[in-house]
Amino acid sequence: MTVAVAPRATIGGRTALPGDAVLGMLMVAPIVITMAALVIIPLGQTVWDSLHRINPMQAGTPFIGLANYSRMFADADVGHAWTNTLIYVGIAVTIETVVGILAAALINQVKVGRQWLLAAVILPWALPGVVNSVIWLWIYQPGAGLLNGILTAFGLPFDNHVWFNDRTSALIAVVVVHIWRMMPLTIVIVLAAMQSIPGHLYEAAHIDGATRPQMFFSITLPLIRSAIAVAMTNSIVAGFNIFDEAWVLAGASLETRPILVQIYLETFQNLRFSYGMALSLLLTAVSLGVSLIFVLRLYRTTRFE
Amino acid sequence: MKRLVLTAIALAALAVAAPASAQDKPLAGTSITVLMPSPQSPNIASEFEAATGIKVDLQTLSWDDIRPKLVAALIAGTAPADVTEFDWSWTGQFSAADWYLPLNDAIDADTVKDIVGSTIFTVNGNLLGVPYTNDFRVMLINKKHFADAGVTDTPKTLDELVAAAKKIKEAGIVEYPIGLPLSPTEGASTSWYLLTKAFGGELFDADFNPQFTSPDSAGYKAMAFEMQLLKDGLVDPASTGLRDAQINDNMFAKGLTSIMISGEPGRLGQMNDPAQSQVAGDVEAILVPTVSGKTRSYGLLEALAVPRASQNQEAAIAFVKWFTSKEFQIENYGNGVLPTRTSALAELNQQGKLQSGDVLVEESKYVEALFPQGTPTWYPEFSTAVNTAINSAAKGQMTVDEAVASIAAAVEQAKAQ
Repeated sequence: MTVAVAPRATIGGRTALPGDAVLGMLMVAPIVITMAALVIIPLGQTVWDSLHRINPMQAGTPFIGLANYSRMFADADVGHAWTNTLIYVGIAVTIETVVGILAAALINQVKVGRQWLLAAVILPWALPGVVNSVIWLWIYQPGAGLLNGILTAFGLPFDNHVWFNDRTSALIAVVVVHIWRMMPLTIVIVLAAMQSIPGHLYEAAHIDGATRPQMFFSITLPLIRSAIAVAMTNSIVAGFNIFDEAWVLAGASLETRPILVQIYLETFQNLRFSYGMALSLLLTAVSLGVSLIFVLRLYRTTRFE
Repeated sequence: MKRLVLTAIALAALAVAAPASAQDKPLAGTSITVLMPSPQSPNIASEFEAATGIKVDLQTLSWDDIRPKLVAALIAGTAPADVTEFDWSWTGQFSAADWYLPLNDAIDADTVKDIVGSTIFTVNGNLLGVPYTNDFRVMLINKKHFADAGVTDTPKTLDELVAAAKKIKEAGIVEYPIGLPLSPTEGASTSWYLLTKAFGGELFDADFNPQFTSPDSAGYKAMAFEMQLLKDGLVDPASTGLRDAQINDNMFAKGLTSIMISGEPGRLGQMNDPAQSQVAGDVEAILVPTVSGKTRSYGLLEALAVPRASQNQEAAIAFVKWFTSKEFQIENYGNGVLPTRTSALAELNQQGKLQSGDVLVEESKYVEALFPQGTPTWYPEFSTAVNTAINSAAKGQMTVDEAVASIAAAVEQAKAQ
């Protein structure tokens, strides 16, 4: 490959940038300025502030180094919250991905009224998290709740059962609501990828005698890898940021408290702002780190395909 | 000619009246925002505007949701509203943060003297809020349930209270006779504080060292008592997910429970109002039963305060004065808000309007401060540790030993900051 380098113009003895370069810089300037103002500078400020003691109840903001970071490793509540969060992420990402792909494959088979089906499927994602959570709060209600009503109708002993009085069922109850809200996005992403697969590939496979499962694993899955990676990245980030569902359904309960609720309590209840910042930065780092695995995989996949 | 004279007289009268009106209502036309816990009387804005000419945008939120909204705005240097709720439990934090305007110059000495609870909101000589609701704890009972179960004597001890609850349950009047918040909300904390006093103890010593970790301490016994009530089927297991407002409004007011452990005197009016309660006429207050039989209680007053960042401080102070005036306090009692002015309480009692008046007057003699040393800055952290520990214990996720130990650990951690 040959690369042609345009000669630089000189103005008054100085080397001037070529017109294309200036134009290019001007075109990227808005996003660079926007990202710097809304992301990079606030992030840098947050990192710097997390190294200080910022508490409106205490005078001054002295530099305390990594004290906020070392403290979180000895904080039992933070440990509980991280455990709960990792459980949420593990369950949510697995179910959203597996069931999301299967649901997308099913919807892809529907020929009539697909748009209506898709609209219905996407509804939970379109609703605000708090609204979804309040609806599910009614479903889980011990007395008049729909879930207990259905189970009792089948003769099961769930009359007045309190789902949030047991840690396992409480964690599952919270993550089900999160999955209910976020899975439509996985379905839409994967479905879009499925619809872009050329039909002649399936016709050729059919002529070669391939079964439907063989077609799914040999044609569909390899060709939607990128979409799955995007969907999983989204699921992971959303899983680490779970808040609405846990807060509406169980408040500050230790058994279901995710890390974001812990950050909220430290920041807005205990007014330890810089500790809240340190916790937020760790959450961002972990969330980005795990997502990066999928983003890098996506990059490689798309680059060599 | 006659018409002309009359018109001239009318115009002259208007010209005289207009400046007089402007003098009466110097802030007329100003608008303020007010943030208070729900529910509040729907007539507040119109009555205040009629009295002062100041327009009010009254916003209400559930009590637990107000504080985060306040803090988010105040830390950003803005006013969440021109007048806001100011709970006794926030006094330590908010005074240390210096977010609120001292009202010493605006509120006269007679008012401060008439509102005894003002001292709770006075830090280093600065009056940060004017108490508007006289919230101390009594217990509310459904006397019809008691009578139907054959309980004739008012319980004076905790044993008698439990015995009465068991009789009501055995008689099949209600399934869960005692309303006790066990969710991770403030209501679970305040109930435990009351029961700690009922067991004859205190939460802390003078140096804020926890006094509730030993099995023979009042705090430990209070928590064990709560768990026993749950185990005995006297408290609904679903209480782990219900706020105190839900337990009081949805359950007690519908006759689903017979005893409100952490009862608010102001709720008597609401509970005996047929428009708001299905048990109207059956509700009365009783003195808080204790182990010894000698009642104890504590105050949880709520005040109105003006953030330093308010742009309409003069109008905001006018609202605080109006809302805490004797006349409005007497009127507002009908909305379930017990007056903080001694004079208003006395007048209501004289008029026979104070429901369970004798009990309230008697209990008020035993009202103590929860923190005689002053509300600590770490109170919200302590309260969350309390209610989450109670919630976990009620769900069987912690023993009582673990629960009190976790609260003590949270206190030590908070004090170390």
